[in-house]
Amino acid sequence: MPAALTGQGQGTSPAGAGPYDDATGNGTGTGGGFNLDNGDRPGRAAALRSKVADAARHYAGQWLVWAILAFLVAVPVGAFLVQVFVPRLFDQGTSWFTLSNLTQAFQGHTFLGLFNSLWVSTVVCVLDLVIGGGVAWLSMRTTIGGRRIWPGMMWGLLLVPTWLMAQGWQYLTEPKGVLSQFGLYSPLVHHVIFSPIGVVLVDSLATAPYAYLTLSAALGGLGSQFEEAVRVHGGGRVATFRVVVPVLAPAVLASVALVFVETMSDYGVASTLAFQSRFPMATYGIYQAINNLPAQFPVAGAISILLLASAAIPLALQSRVTRGRSYAILSGRTRPATRYRLGRAGKWSLTSVVGLFFVVALGAPGLGAFAGSFVANLGSPLGGQALTLANYREVFSGDIAYSHSIAEGASGTSGPVLLSTMLAAITATITVVVGLAVARLLVARRPGRFTKAGDLLILGSIALPGIVLGAGYIFAFNLPIASRLGVDLYETLPLLVMGYLATSIPTTSRIMMGPVAQVHGSLMEAGRVHGARALSALRSCYVPVVSRVLVLVWLVTLTKTFWELPISQLLYPPGQETVSVAIDSWNNNYHPEVGAAMTVVALGACFLVIGLVLGGFRLLAPKGWRRMGGWRSVA
Amino acid sequence: MLTHISPNASLPRGDKTTATTKLAAAVMTAAALATTGIVATTATVAAAATTSGPTLVLYSAQGYDSAETTAFQKATGIKVSLDDDSTGPLLIKVEAEKNNPKWGLLWVDGATAFASLDQQGLLMKGWEPTVTWNTLGKQAVPADKSYIPTGLTMAGTLVYEPKEVPDPPTTWQQVLNPKWSNEIGMNDPAVSGPTYPFVAGMMNYLGGVAQGEKFYESLNKNGLQVNLTNGNTLEVLEGGIIKLALIQSSAGIGAGLKTHGEIKVKFLDPVTALPSALGIDSKAPKAEQLEAEKFVEFVMSAQGQQIMQSGDPTGDSLYWPVLQGVNPLPALPPLSSIHVQNINPYTWGAREDAVNTWFTDNIVE
Repeated sequence: MPAALTGQGQGTSPAGAGPYDDATGNGTGTGGGFNLDNGDRPGRAAALRSKVADAARHYAGQWLVWAILAFLVAVPVGAFLVQVFVPRLFDQGTSWFTLSNLTQAFQGHTFLGLFNSLWVSTVVCVLDLVIGGGVAWLSMRTTIGGRRIWPGMMWGLLLVPTWLMAQGWQYLTEPKGVLSQFGLYSPLVHHVIFSPIGVVLVDSLATAPYAYLTLSAALGGLGSQFEEAVRVHGGGRVATFRVVVPVLAPAVLASVALVFVETMSDYGVASTLAFQSRFPMATYGIYQAINNLPAQFPVAGAISILLLASAAIPLALQSRVTRGRSYAILSGRTRPATRYRLGRAGKWSLTSVVGLFFVVALGAPGLGAFAGSFVANLGSPLGGQALTLANYREVFSGDIAYSHSIAEGASGTSGPVLLSTMLAAITATITVVVGLAVARLLVARRPGRFTKAGDLLILGSIALPGIVLGAGYIFAFNLPIASRLGVDLYETLPLLVMGYLATSIPTTSRIMMGPVAQVHGSLMEAGRVHGARALSALRSCYVPVVSRVLVLVWLVTLTKTFWELPISQLLYPPGQETVSVAIDSWNNNYHPEVGAAMTVVALGACFLVIGLVLGGFRLLAPKGWRRMGGWRSVA
Repeated sequence: MLTHISPNASLPRGDKTTATTKLAAAVMTAAALATTGIVATTATVAAAATTSGPTLVLYSAQGYDSAETTAFQKATGIKVSLDDDSTGPLLIKVEAEKNNPKWGLLWVDGATAFASLDQQGLLMKGWEPTVTWNTLGKQAVPADKSYIPTGLTMAGTLVYEPKEVPDPPTTWQQVLNPKWSNEIGMNDPAVSGPTYPFVAGMMNYLGGVAQGEKFYESLNKNGLQVNLTNGNTLEVLEGGIIKLALIQSSAGIGAGLKTHGEIKVKFLDPVTALPSALGIDSKAPKAEQLEAEKFVEFVMSAQGQQIMQSGDPTGDSLYWPVLQGVNPLPALPPLSSIHVQNINPYTWGAREDAVNTWFTDNIVE
């Protein structure tokens, strides 16, 4: 029996050390049995010391995790927001205190942009519940055809940047676009795509994977015992639905929250389809304010405050619905789910619908990337231009005069691609570990004292576009006093990785909340009962259950970091371009065809890493690891 | 609604907290290892760089900057750390770094942008290289010598496909003709660097802000399409969404070269000059400022000009030189055939925020 298990009530073991101790959540309170001799002063002092030590141990993990998040996210975001009221602090104005920037955010196009972003995000949430939930349920709980392919397709969709998706739709529907080549050009379709409907459509497709991931994790862990229980008690389909849906409530709400803030923060669609449709969105207002001369950082900060506040909406909803309830369903007794057997007609029709969805969702952006890279002109693929491989030669050759890699001695694309791969791998590794710790804190039934604030910070930071974090990092980590002390973090790789972590940890921890919430505490307890120490129990009982989730989250983070642009642009060390900065440079120097070719090469590198990791997991991980937890059929 | 799925749902805290503590320790270990890796990599890069001592930090959006930097380093032995990016992010960095600048030299398009930086006290004044300016160059040099023009392109040139538009407008008034309803596109001046000078130029030409606003309102009523940048506007031109694009000359001429004449550029009367320029950071250490001056002198030398013209032949190399004795590339029409107007960058630079806000409120949305 481990010593910790004997501690409760015997005064020999600190509260918080054993798995069955203090359930009040207050390690400094009554503390489970420190009933020593009251008259013994040294004994009392020892007890006090012990209590302090216990509290420190009890909260050390939480504090450390929140401290990391505060350093990575709260400090730079806070720096960016504080100059809304105190612009003089960072030389962004003459006033020591003003509210004028905030009032400006409530006026004219900025307020309209916020309003549009709010309703688009809300509609997208609903659509994604249908799309993501539908694909998740069909591929995991029915005998639909191609069910081993669809999860992979969803992951593929997650890798596509929204701007590429918007560009693909433009190529598809414009007067000289793909459809017109087949005589299918329709002004109506063109105008629908270049309207708020098109914005909602592309945003929904782009964020559908988030809904899928959170919902499929819940469906995968659900087992079929709940449906069977209803059947045993004579319930029909409606009764089953009424039982199963509440069980999925955390996943549904997690999906809503994540999709909502991801849509709020999107700039790829806001700057293309939405902008061209004269449909202002909040993030574009931020970019306009920052791009102005002189830059209007305080106004951008004021819009950011409203974006941050918008994250409170799904959070309040989530808190209201799930408060005080447990949704842990994945325990040692969980049995694999059975699949609904579809009829022949149903199977083929549903397979066709899902297949068509992916053809549309992935086909349009694929067209944008590939077609643009093989033409000699400006990236519009269908202007009657001859196909060419010259753009690829330019990407790989180091001897063209205007290659941006020459200065740092790198050759062609290899420098940026290798650097971005390395940075993305480091970011993904740290993100998975910290994200898991954050997710565990977020789903704790009795939240710690920082949990609610931390959750708002996490969701709020996802709602902020990358440029806000990037600028916040300059304000917070390029202080003159730090330079005088010789600490120059700005424009170094460590700060760039910190910036990446600030964008990836919030999303990652939110994605992992679903799977983590479903892992029953009894799994860890079983390990501890059998004598394992905490870390050992974590490794042998907990990690296997979430291993597949961790691998997939690692890959998502790797990919997102690999393509990240706004933070890279503001924080990358001169001479060490990331792949996104290099591509953007090509595009902005009127060589979008080379940028497109580089995009394709970088995509190839990305897929190579993904293939290697998934293959490695399949070969090396014990079979049991691959069968447990959510998101089956992928790894 | 189910409230308790499992009788054991009430989780003991200690286990989770202890595990989180351990996890956090693992986090720190991973973070430490990773940071060590990054620092080691940075140190390697820095060590490689230190051997030749980089001190001059150049923020540049020019397509030929890498070639120029490489040649400068070879010629002088002075190391240059190049931050090559679009004008937008570079200016954001310069503004965000205001209280602790990291850049030494800035090389982007737009005299109004430099005038704005000058008015904020961010540029070193009173120094110009010893060169012989041509007429355009003399007009582009600011009175306080706070930045150095390196070439000229034109803002708001008319770009079109001759096979689609055999008979393009020949005056600004004709651009407003209902014939071009929903067929004209331009960039957002609040985001696209080369576009504010075009908006300001039209206001200057028409006699003031109010007259200019009327022009853009008319254009807007005629179905003007506003895009993000030159590249986006060219894309919608090629996609057939618009037929006339009002964009920077180098983008249009470069597109013409790449499409072997399928795209052409027309210079309406007048077009507004859009100088590219170099500016030195007023807060940079003296040693770095001296190196920056050497870089400017190199750019303005015969070798530097030759590199500017060969470094990006279908992009930024398509500029009109500001020095006597340097001829533009053959793809550029002679300046004698174009009526060019200069706008006062200080007058119009100071109005940029107000004009862009008006444009956003009344034209973009």
